[in-house]
Amino acid sequence: MRLFVSGLRKLSRRLATYLTFGLLAGLLALIIIAVAASGGRGQSDGAANPLAIVTFPGAYDLILSFILGLGGLFAVVYGAAIAGSEWTWGTLKTAVARGESRSRYVLATFAAIAVVAALGLLAAFGIGVVAAIVGATIANIPLDGIGNAAALGQLPEHFARGWSAIVMEGALGFAIATLTRSQLAGIGAGIAFYFGEGFASLFLPDVVKYLPFNLASTAVGNGGFGGNGGGGGPAATTTPLSADFALLLVAVWLVASLVVAAGFTERAEITG
Amino acid sequence: MTADLALATRALSKSYGSRRALDGLDLTVPTGVVYGFLGPNGAGKTTTMRLLTGLLRPDSGTIEMLGRPFSRSDRHRLFDIGALVESPSFYPYLSGRENLHALASAGAPTPRKRIDEVLEIVGLRDRAGDKVSRYSLGMKQRLGIAGALLSDPQLLLLDEPANGLDPAGIVAMRETLRHLAAIGKTVFVSSHLLAEVQQLADVVGIIAAGKLVREGSIKELLAGEGIVRVRVSPDEVAAAATALATLVQQDHVTASTAEPGWLTIQIAPDRTAEVNRTLAQASIYASGLESGNDLEELFLNLTHDPSAVDPDGTFAGMRGRSTTEIN
Repeated sequence: MRLFVSGLRKLSRRLATYLTFGLLAGLLALIIIAVAASGGRGQSDGAANPLAIVTFPGAYDLILSFILGLGGLFAVVYGAAIAGSEWTWGTLKTAVARGESRSRYVLATFAAIAVVAALGLLAAFGIGVVAAIVGATIANIPLDGIGNAAALGQLPEHFARGWSAIVMEGALGFAIATLTRSQLAGIGAGIAFYFGEGFASLFLPDVVKYLPFNLASTAVGNGGFGGNGGGGGPAATTTPLSADFALLLVAVWLVASLVVAAGFTERAEITG
Repeated sequence: MTADLALATRALSKSYGSRRALDGLDLTVPTGVVYGFLGPNGAGKTTTMRLLTGLLRPDSGTIEMLGRPFSRSDRHRLFDIGALVESPSFYPYLSGRENLHALASAGAPTPRKRIDEVLEIVGLRDRAGDKVSRYSLGMKQRLGIAGALLSDPQLLLLDEPANGLDPAGIVAMRETLRHLAAIGKTVFVSSHLLAEVQQLADVVGIIAAGKLVREGSIKELLAGEGIVRVRVSPDEVAAAATALATLVQQDHVTASTAEPGWLTIQIAPDRTAEVNRTLAQASIYASGLESGNDLEELFLNLTHDPSAVDPDGTFAGMRGRSTTEIN
């Protein structure tokens, strides 16, 4: 428990935490306000109405969708930054030399990341809703649907699914950085994985649908609600997975990533 | 192995790929001493430290710490051991005190008040609230030593603890480590600062190419390792060497080619006056005298590190030590 609390305290003092959150929330607010200010101009025939993001109750799902799409990339980078720095700064070495269990240290560190991800998700959503209200006001769109009971009732489930997806993506970056034993290499490899998966979905949709970013997208996707797949585009699958099955596979990826990170750390010869 | 040993290794070996870093290392560290672990770069000192702290797994051999066998899977044994391995490692965005709190959350349970105690010991209490990224190398080193002391360990393993410390810091560190040994704790220090080890350690182990080449108390090791250097007029060197050969065997007198006029005599330092008198009796008057029991000479002889020796065979480290100029 003291490791977990210490992990939370460390993350709360870390610039990367606020930078990652600030970038995500800032981009979200900026885009919502910009869309509202433009009044949806430039919309082509048949395309979705851009002002939907400031039109409640549908705005709830679209805001969450945006956070989970871009947040996937940010989660990978954040997870890689935290795990990689333990190797780069040598702080893992110091903890191990004090007799700390390697796998417990890794898992406690990641548990703190998962909590920070939940808080970040909630805070970013709050900022997104405020931005959508401001945007709706700018675009003269009524706020009648803001208290829609059905939409609000679905939010907890959507949050839970979205958080699972974000945590899995964070775990992926965490595992990659652990394997590379480096902050920079982990971040680079995580970003490459994210865009690589999106690119591969053009050619191997039936394979890519089982890969983490597309699974994350599918797991949170119900009706109009859903994040983007890796690289910013959903996989063009011929036989799409159900959201529940995708959620199960998200859990598999999450556990596998943590097992790899803990297992590698447990066996590693720490020389740096 | 016996219970009065704080640390012992037997036939400890470790290879990195085809390179053998440790080749059957046998260390014997008694309880309650400061043990100086010396060796040239690449000799295996840091590898030994990593093995002793469970960061690496040995290829073969055994480690016994505080009277009981130790292996990497036996991590609880490290609760009684404090370590500073290689450079001190901290979160740069946290303060010194926050870093110690973070460290205390891992491994051995540590009372909160202990953090202030160790900050006081290493003289960092006033700067404990500053971010580590603003610390000098010496301050980071002090914080590293504070981290090693956190669990009030019975055995302290310190890798080059004097790195980056200013003279006052080195003196303070030496006094702290001597104090720890005086109250029964064991301090194992690897260092390349031979003069520092000579002042600090009770027992010294010298490692070369992954093997222990000498181990014993400083007094035992330095018996017969004294030297005196004398400077005469360059045209009197031959006559001086002949005169000094009456004191010691002729091959114990060496004239320096790099520094004309300097001779090195292998003789106990307490016979320096005798050297001066012998020269005076031969009507040769020394303009400089240096003397010392030199761990450096022993070290160089044992480790055969040619890079550390002047071309003429004298050792550069002699310069700068207590020198008497005679005008």
